[in-house]
Amino acid sequence: MDAVLAVVNAVTVLAQEAGGITGSLNVVGYGLAAIGPGIGVGIVAGNTVQAMARQPEVAGMLRTTMFLGIAFTEALALIGFVLFFLG
Amino acid sequence: MDHVILAVENCDYVNEPVCAPEDVSELFVFPNFPGTNINRVVILTFLAMLIVMALLYFAYRKPRLVPTKFQAIMDSLTSFVKDEVAIGIIGPEGVKYFPYLLSVFMFVLVGNLFEITPFINFPITSRMAIPAFLAIVTWFLFVFVGFAKNGFGYFLDVVWPKTVPIAMRPLVGIIEFFSVYFIRPFSLAVRLFANMVAGHVMLSLLLVTGLVFITAIPEIGVKGVFGFAWFGLGLAIFVFEMMVAVLQAYIFTLLSAVYIQTSVHPEH
Repeated sequence: MDAVLAVVNAVTVLAQEAGGITGSLNVVGYGLAAIGPGIGVGIVAGNTVQAMARQPEVAGMLRTTMFLGIAFTEALALIGFVLFFLG
Repeated sequence: MDHVILAVENCDYVNEPVCAPEDVSELFVFPNFPGTNINRVVILTFLAMLIVMALLYFAYRKPRLVPTKFQAIMDSLTSFVKDEVAIGIIGPEGVKYFPYLLSVFMFVLVGNLFEITPFINFPITSRMAIPAFLAIVTWFLFVFVGFAKNGFGYFLDVVWPKTVPIAMRPLVGIIEFFSVYFIRPFSLAVRLFANMVAGHVMLSLLLVTGLVFITAIPEIGVKGVFGFAWFGLGLAIFVFEMMVAVLQAYIFTLLSAVYIQTSVHPEH
């Protein structure tokens, strides 16, 4: 834990002394947290589109399952967003 | 309104690209009315409750076989929740849980739509108390239903899953335990809360910044033209928030129904 804090302090100090990078690591953390869910939601929606094209008569059920999948995947990005304000 | 006035007074529109308060959570805190412990959020919560009760009462006070226009509108909402969510997800015995799912859906929908109604412009579901309490009620409901229908075997089915090879059962059991009993209500609440917070922050900052920059064009000249871009983006986010409000209400209700379904039929 101390090692992590030391690394965070070092990175912040280095960034500020390098001349002009201000802000906090919260933003970088949230940016990293948003990569996974972005790819995940794309995969879910893309596969739903493909499945709807194969069998249009089950499009209603596929749409419901797509919303379910998107909700689960986006929850991680939103937890990252909340921690952005807490950090 | 106070936030708009504060932002206009404190915004350093010469140097800053966006007018933002130092601590964004200031956008969500309202002062108590003098002498009471009531602030604007409490009043808006009760208003949401009264709106939901009034909508359902006046539509179904004297229901007719050939519905009036207002009853037809409310029929589309209630039959959507009943057929698609309650019966579609839980099965034929989902009708027992339909009143709860309809209440949650209507309350969260009205609460989310407060973000885009004029003169209110504040989503009550962006204060964590409301999504947290609704998620806790859903949690009590699906845990209670699980134990009532399946006895103690419900707990055992979660912690010692039979469909997994026996060597992995302890590990999967621990993961399933935390996932079912802790992560589900937490994520249910945080999903709704964070969506509404993000929408409200974006709308407040973009629209107020646009307004401040546009009204300051005589002072700062060309940079004020950016105000139109911020305001236009704010309007686009406004339309997006309409969709997000309805979608988040639907997802909260849908996930509540899915969790109840896994308690009623735990073998799936």
